[in-house]
Amino acid sequence: MDRIRALLRPAGDRNLNRVRRRQALLSALTRRIHLLKITLFCVGYLWMLALPSPRLGRGIYIDENALGPGQVNTYWNWGDVANADRYLELLEGLRDSNSTHEQRAEVLKMEFLKLGIPASTQNYVFSSSTGKYEGTNAYAVLSSPRTSGTEAMVISASWVSRIGEEDGTLNLRGVSTVLALANFLKRYSLWAKDIVFVISDNHLDGMQAWLNAYHGETQSNLQAAELELSSGVIWTALNIDYPGHSFSHLGIFHEGINGRLPNQDLLNSFHYISKWTGGVPVLVYDHVESQNTAPSWIPAEYREELHGYSHRSNTILRHIGYQARGRGSGVHGLFHQFRIDAFTMFGLPATGPHGFHAIGRIVESTLRTTNNLLERLHASFFFYILATPDHFLKIGSFLPSAVLISVAMMFAGLKIWSDSAWIPDTSAAIEKEGENNGNKWIERIRPVLPVLGMMISTHIGGVALFYVLTTAWFSHNQTIASILLVAILATLSLRALLVPAEDTRAVAPVSQLLKALNLCFASTVISITTVVNFSLAMSLAILLGIPLSLSSPSKSLPLRIAKFTAYLGLASAWIFASDEVRKALWDWEILRVWFAPFVCIVYTPLVLQAAFVCLLPS
Amino acid sequence: MRTLRFLWVLGLLPPCYCRYFSGETFSEELVIRPLPDGKVASRFEFTTLLHGATPRNPQNLSVEDHSQHYTLFPLALGQILREYAVTELHLTLNAGKWNYDRWGYPEESDVATGASLWAWMAEGSGSASAANARHRVDARWRDLRNALAGLFCASIASLDEQRTTSPGRAFTPVGALPAWPASVQHAFRHASLPSENVCTENLTPFLKLLPCKSLSGLAHLLNPHRLFDADWHGMGLHVSWRPNEGVQVRLTFQSVSDPLRAGGNSRDWSLRLLFDRVVDRACPVAASSRIIVTLPTKELYSVHPEPSSVVDGRGAFDLSDQSFPLDLRLRWAEPFQHATVPSAEAPLSVRRMLRGSAQDHGALAISITNPDSDPVSVVYLETLPWIVYLYLSTLELSVGGVRRPDLLQDISYIAPVPHGRAATLEAFLSLPARSTVTLHIGVGRSFLRYTEHPPDAQRGWDLPGAVVALLPAASGNQSSATDSTNKGAMQEMKKWNQPQRIYTPALLVDPATPDFSMPYNVIIFTCSLIAFIFGSVFNGLTRRFVVLKSPE
Repeated sequence: MDRIRALLRPAGDRNLNRVRRRQALLSALTRRIHLLKITLFCVGYLWMLALPSPRLGRGIYIDENALGPGQVNTYWNWGDVANADRYLELLEGLRDSNSTHEQRAEVLKMEFLKLGIPASTQNYVFSSSTGKYEGTNAYAVLSSPRTSGTEAMVISASWVSRIGEEDGTLNLRGVSTVLALANFLKRYSLWAKDIVFVISDNHLDGMQAWLNAYHGETQSNLQAAELELSSGVIWTALNIDYPGHSFSHLGIFHEGINGRLPNQDLLNSFHYISKWTGGVPVLVYDHVESQNTAPSWIPAEYREELHGYSHRSNTILRHIGYQARGRGSGVHGLFHQFRIDAFTMFGLPATGPHGFHAIGRIVESTLRTTNNLLERLHASFFFYILATPDHFLKIGSFLPSAVLISVAMMFAGLKIWSDSAWIPDTSAAIEKEGENNGNKWIERIRPVLPVLGMMISTHIGGVALFYVLTTAWFSHNQTIASILLVAILATLSLRALLVPAEDTRAVAPVSQLLKALNLCFASTVISITTVVNFSLAMSLAILLGIPLSLSSPSKSLPLRIAKFTAYLGLASAWIFASDEVRKALWDWEILRVWFAPFVCIVYTPLVLQAAFVCLLPS
Repeated sequence: MRTLRFLWVLGLLPPCYCRYFSGETFSEELVIRPLPDGKVASRFEFTTLLHGATPRNPQNLSVEDHSQHYTLFPLALGQILREYAVTELHLTLNAGKWNYDRWGYPEESDVATGASLWAWMAEGSGSASAANARHRVDARWRDLRNALAGLFCASIASLDEQRTTSPGRAFTPVGALPAWPASVQHAFRHASLPSENVCTENLTPFLKLLPCKSLSGLAHLLNPHRLFDADWHGMGLHVSWRPNEGVQVRLTFQSVSDPLRAGGNSRDWSLRLLFDRVVDRACPVAASSRIIVTLPTKELYSVHPEPSSVVDGRGAFDLSDQSFPLDLRLRWAEPFQHATVPSAEAPLSVRRMLRGSAQDHGALAISITNPDSDPVSVVYLETLPWIVYLYLSTLELSVGGVRRPDLLQDISYIAPVPHGRAATLEAFLSLPARSTVTLHIGVGRSFLRYTEHPPDAQRGWDLPGAVVALLPAASGNQSSATDSTNKGAMQEMKKWNQPQRIYTPALLVDPATPDFSMPYNVIIFTCSLIAFIFGSVFNGLTRRFVVLKSPE
């Protein structure tokens, strides 16, 4: 007992003991900081690898009690299917007659007006460095009875399907579903919110123009007509994409631009309704689970798990691809910037068995569910990774992976920072009694300002790079311009070779300080991004984590140049992926996706700073 | 046999079957108007006139009032009016937004969404003694709200000081305001609550105020099952004083039903279709009881039974010379088709929108279209709760993108008091002929204290609709100008020399709201933990604690 007491309350001055204890703890920690760093890196990367495991995550559930999905009888029937077929004939006529954007929108508007629903059209023109994008949207506002019209739901379909971005497939069945739904929904007096039907032109740009006009937002390169009709605050939106003749599954596409996600309750309700009311299986994207191809010598229970792992990793990789690039996976993504929860239901083209009858019932029931909402969808359901339609990862099971790596980088940076202030005094090895460590430490100056100047100049260079990318000159001669830009970048960076080596005994080397600050800054960027856009943070953690920690100056010039070239490649190789660059720039100019500026202004400069570390004298 | 029994009942209750009671007259009227988009608007009006009565002078509130004996006049209402010395009172409880562009000008002009209450009351005895504090206008206004809330089972009591305003021009008394000796001017109070839901619990007390309840006469048609399924419905209470006649109480119920909703393309209607009831018998105490139907002018139709008289395209059916049960039917020869060319039905077309997706600022955009060939002057009235405040310096008027500051003739603005008083903006605008005037004002959104958030579901705050009042001088030639405009209502307004008021729909604004649910706590907790760990680690890495031996 006494021994325990002595351990907890040692004799002597309490403050002295505390300082000593702290010192002991800290020195134990700082001595093992390398080990700690490596452990954090390993745990972080392994965690990332474990994300698709079926053991991680949990089954979906409905959090908002007001939604009550699938609790209603649906009335959509074969008569409405016949209506949809008639609308489809009309639209096929429009397609075959090669009608212009205006003619098409005018016909759609007339169809709404014939139903007695106020409708209008909207012309828009986007001008970008790659050319002009014009089109005409048609939309209609069904005022629901007895309500003040302060809230609204949107049902939308874009004229071009999401699979039509390459081959021009039209979303004719989606559009006819919307028209037939308009005819159907106006017959009921139970709507508590206005219903807005939008047929947006093209794939993405039409909806962007419509949403900007609806919310009165201005975009410098957009000329859009004001909307003649308006309604209240939009809470939810359903986007219908049904390009094929029939469909076998309904796929959920949910990523919004800039990495925003819709409230998961909406997706879960849809999943529930589609499964139980419509009898249609649901997919995440268009990933149909394939046959188990794992080798047969693996024991059965592991085979199952391995198969689940490979299927989920496909889905999660695609999710990361959409979210990290901020691109959004469809028209629904544009709604998220205005706090509207939206997703696309994509009818996976197949020879059967589902068609207008199933999709109509599902949309009707989903609308009844969102109609029940008393307040905006809220709560925690904005941070998730949908691994399969009925299984998801909660924020707690994926967020730490990137945070751990960022913590490791922060530790590494701080360690270098504190190390750079001291240098062992090797010139005078004075043996002194009472000191158990024979080394003397000399304190030296840390020239922070030049280092910060260097960092800021790389970021300014990033801004200039981005400016060049958005010019029309770049989009016209992309290959030559890319080579030229990388060459300029390399030449400008090589000037770091000219920095003279200073006396490291008095002044800390610039390279060491640059590395410290670079690591700390990169770590901060990653940890902040985790909550805003996890996929981007995770990609940064992979691309920056180990490379930035490994950057170091060296004595021989060829080695310096070689290292520099490697980092320069990491920083700017993306510029040669011309398709990706073009898409990212289009996203920025039309949709205001900040992935392109982020890469130019944050990512590339961060890696360039590591490249400088290799060039600078040690 | 039937007549015999009726006579027997008569014998039992002789005083009830006289149509003219000493000093009280009750009359009822139902106006049915088919709308251009196939819907049917109907308006019930029940008028009770208390002959020779005058409103109570608030100077005499400390003196005991004379006793109230009414036969037809609703006693519950009479007591409230006398107790709080209300000269003129209007209360409307409406659900839905009136679509002026498609339905034209309504028979009952006050169609603001939700509950609105406005009244004229004279100042009580001026002394500031504690006993008379309850006689002040504001105290009586508060008590009146509470009393009416109890009478109509509505949330009128929550129309507190934060929602009460006193705009000067958009509202004028329908009747006259008595000029009492030694009394100050009448004060005007207005308040509205757009989020009020109107339903059966409000209709039942409304019916109780009628002499025949819903047992006989036109009030029998007020069937809650059908009325509250209508596209639009609203009830109103209007009390005014006519100097030569007396105190008039007008109870109104207006609705817009949709015969097309069943899915067919026939807009034929009958009383049974609209109300699921027919008139079984007349209200025995009604001095006049009639149904007025606006008959189609361009299409072929048949009406059954034949109207007693047809004046100006409106057929009148007097219940005294109709056989019961009475079921009016109007049939069109041709099936209905929706017009694909929009037609201007209302004297003005007004749109109001809240722009901007940010949570702390935005802009209010109002566009008023004058389809007429003459310029008109209007008063634009905006009463906003303090949650939203206007940046008056950003007010901008434009026509077709060209700035026109000259259109703003006068403006009066009462700034809001945060957490206390609503803002009132009254702008006098002149609208050029055949043009659309756009008014653009920047708005800010206040930050609410956490206790000010309502404890229930947080859907945002409703802003009451704006009011655009056409000034009477300019509205003189309105009814002749547009053919399709609802003439009956326009002439009615002219008769009382009232400005025509056009209400815009309510708006929803969501100020910055924390997510009060569980994850919020979790986020805060996690953030604190991380901050703590980071702080201690950073401290440990950047500072050094050493033990110094101080020389003693």
